[in-house]
Amino acid sequence: MIRVDELQKSYGDFAAVVGSSFSVDAGEIFGIVGPNGAGKTTTLKMISGLIEPSGGSATVAGFDASDPEMRQSLGFLPEESPLYEDMTPRSYLRFFADLYDVPREEAIARTEATLDRLELEYRDRRLGDMSKGMKRKVAIARSLVNDPAVLIYDEPASGLDPLTTNTVLAFTRELKAAGKTVIFSAHNLYHVESICDRLIIMNEGQIIANGSISDLRDEYGTREYQIWATHCPTDLDPAETIDSGDSSSYLYIADTLEDADLLREKITRAGGDILDFRTEESTLESIFLELTGKPMAGSRTIGGSK
Amino acid sequence: MSRRSLRQLHRIAQWEVSRGVGVIDRKTAAVGVILLLLTGGVVGGVVMSGAGGVAIDRDIYRVGVDTENPYYPVVAQSSQLSAHPPDHEALARGDQDVIIEAFDDQFISWQTTGTEKGDAAHAALLSEIDRYNERQMASEPNQTAAYPVLVDIQYLTRFVDTPEALAAAQADDTSTSDRDLEGDTDSGSDRDTGAETNGEQPDSGAETSGGTDTASGPPPAIGTGVFGGEQSGSPATIQPPFPFSSLLLAFVFLIPLNFVIQAYGSTILNERINRRGELLLVAPVSRRTIIAGKTLPYFTAGMGVCGIIAVAVGGGLQSIAGVLPIVLAFLSATFVGGMLARSFKELTFVTVTISVFITTYVFVPAIFTNVTPIALISPLTIVVMDLQGQSATMGELLFSTVPFVVGSVVLFALGAGIYREEDMFTQKSIPDKFLDALNAQLSGYRSVALWTALFVPFVFVAELLAIAVLFVAPIELSIPILLITIAAIEEIAKSIHIYAGYQRARFDRALPVALGLGIASGAAFFVAEKFTAIAQVVGLPELALGQAAFAPVGLTPTLTIGLLLAPLALHVVTAMITAIGARDRRLVYGSALFIATLVHALYNYVVVTFYA
Repeated sequence: MIRVDELQKSYGDFAAVVGSSFSVDAGEIFGIVGPNGAGKTTTLKMISGLIEPSGGSATVAGFDASDPEMRQSLGFLPEESPLYEDMTPRSYLRFFADLYDVPREEAIARTEATLDRLELEYRDRRLGDMSKGMKRKVAIARSLVNDPAVLIYDEPASGLDPLTTNTVLAFTRELKAAGKTVIFSAHNLYHVESICDRLIIMNEGQIIANGSISDLRDEYGTREYQIWATHCPTDLDPAETIDSGDSSSYLYIADTLEDADLLREKITRAGGDILDFRTEESTLESIFLELTGKPMAGSRTIGGSK
Repeated sequence: MSRRSLRQLHRIAQWEVSRGVGVIDRKTAAVGVILLLLTGGVVGGVVMSGAGGVAIDRDIYRVGVDTENPYYPVVAQSSQLSAHPPDHEALARGDQDVIIEAFDDQFISWQTTGTEKGDAAHAALLSEIDRYNERQMASEPNQTAAYPVLVDIQYLTRFVDTPEALAAAQADDTSTSDRDLEGDTDSGSDRDTGAETNGEQPDSGAETSGGTDTASGPPPAIGTGVFGGEQSGSPATIQPPFPFSSLLLAFVFLIPLNFVIQAYGSTILNERINRRGELLLVAPVSRRTIIAGKTLPYFTAGMGVCGIIAVAVGGGLQSIAGVLPIVLAFLSATFVGGMLARSFKELTFVTVTISVFITTYVFVPAIFTNVTPIALISPLTIVVMDLQGQSATMGELLFSTVPFVVGSVVLFALGAGIYREEDMFTQKSIPDKFLDALNAQLSGYRSVALWTALFVPFVFVAELLAIAVLFVAPIELSIPILLITIAAIEEIAKSIHIYAGYQRARFDRALPVALGLGIASGAAFFVAEKFTAIAQVVGLPELALGQAAFAPVGLTPTLTIGLLLAPLALHVVTAMITAIGARDRRLVYGSALFIATLVHALYNYVVVTFYA
């Protein structure tokens, strides 16, 4: 659905994006992550035809990004989406529907349905009088007025409260379920991890990792199995010991599930009890930190899975 | 433009109108309308009552005069004087300033308080008596009796004593090339045929005014009426042909445009604040459609208001044709200003600058409507001519309007070049953004040539402005200054976009590339400059100052060809000098520009000296 080949953008001597190539399949949610200034937004704007590439090409739904016809198939939600504050959500959405040549009845039905789903009640109130979350919902509804096959969402949940964030993320999943292709950029790696099928990590204008979360873990991350037990077999060295006076706990670590099963068997046979068994995997954040050497702005630590 | 684009344009324009209306609440709008009506009423009152119609000195002098006194009507009809029954005690107290008493209708006694106010009242009374007498004479049914002596007045062009001008003057000392005087020199025949109608009393068969007034308007006694006033009077009341009333009315066209551009500039900048316009750019709408859609309501408003004013003050299509390029110039300059300004504060500065510059440029030359054809550099002159009842020829109309229209199109194109995501949201200084705007239009040699040619209307306007500014200076001073000024203007026009291209890394810095750019720019300028021959349509080059600016005429074919190719070589050489300098930093470019200007000015000096 989206194909990006050797996309480049330079501003004088500064290279904002250097030879990016990737593709996004139809019905996929594709994430783009990277530190500030990595070239994410520039890449998204080149794909959406807002910025002319210095080199390479991008095609969306079969159209070159520079082709005005492509915009009929695209819904773009920029990171900052200041609206025309003197308008109401209804007048704003119908204005854009007109620009996209959407028949009036169809536009009304579509925008009302979207606003219903996004739970936006005040549809005839001035946008200037609305909260940031409400405005974001209107902006999302605007990206859908033309019922596009491809959606590019740049930081859709940035600065929103948890409730609205969940609504936005859930709605994005529904868009995927409805067959839309979504490119999703976010600083919050948990959001990316939770909804994206595949992603790229960009740094200093270049793609430094590309694949599914699982692929990235396999390639760049680690996975270990941790066993906490009450008994320490004589032939095993625990990784950690917690001595609480009348009893002790021992931590054993295995690199594979098979090794973990063997360990568990040994401990049980030696009369020990298994207190806890957990899998510790590299989070997207740890992979990101490993690859870029930079913390993600606004990122949070993700706990291990049990 | 496709039907879909037209539909989108209409939708954007409709949206712009609804937004414009929506941002003002009803109360504010009502107050605005009332203020506008009051302002209009005051201005209209002033205009319709003549310039002196609003008398702030009404009834300031109290005159004691009986109703039977022959001077009573003088006092009663005066705005300054108020009539009271004569009272010597009141005079002594200072409650009356002058007393006029008649004794047996033979002897008139004047008494004043002897104070400064009394003297002023006396002087005012004398002036009122003069005016009263003029009115009486003008209303006399038998004008021949009222004005037994007729004097024809002809206002002649001030000839500059160049050889050609003197020769022309000697060859036909009765003719004049001044369009203002066409039809003005035939007063004798007019009188014979009775064709003259200015102030004429049909039953008298007498002519009350010279034919001069036919074309240039009546002798403009200030405050004597909207369109010129009385056509007759004593020699003391005859004044030079200053089209005060028409100018005042023409200025009324400019006032609403200042409001229109404020709103227009705001809406353009509003799109750039917080990236608000990004979503329109990503919609399937072209930049041209967005700009046209946003501009159309303001253009319509500007033209609509000017149309209403034209109807109100008695102007016609000629006035509209004169105002159209002014509206376009206001809007296009504001559009570029809106695209360059970084904040509303900066925009205010830009719009005020635009307003002052364009108003000055169009208004000041129009003052000389009846004096010199240089006035035609301003489209407002076309309006003034219309309000004076003069028709502009097609040549005059084109001369006045085409540079403005082409200039406006170029400004819109420059602004449109940076109406894109990469440029419109950046926070750069105005000069930097101006270079961005120029750079956005460039791609190679051809685009450099094209934009050099497109700058020629601005060169034309700037040079004519320089001529107009230096018009009153002694010719020994004005010609050298003009030669240098014109050289500098032309060298900047040929090189500024090349400099922008180099500053934005558009061009290869290799010497052959710079030379190629210089050749393209210089040659294009030469070709485009020749189109300024339109100036000859109105005979501007007949002025010595015009000759310094444009191609001289009246030479042999060999010399003409030589003088045709010489400027080509000049423009190419100087453009190459500046193009080489443009590759480097600003100081080097400035130095190259200075050298090119000197070479150019020297060439101009040699040509003018040779020609003289």
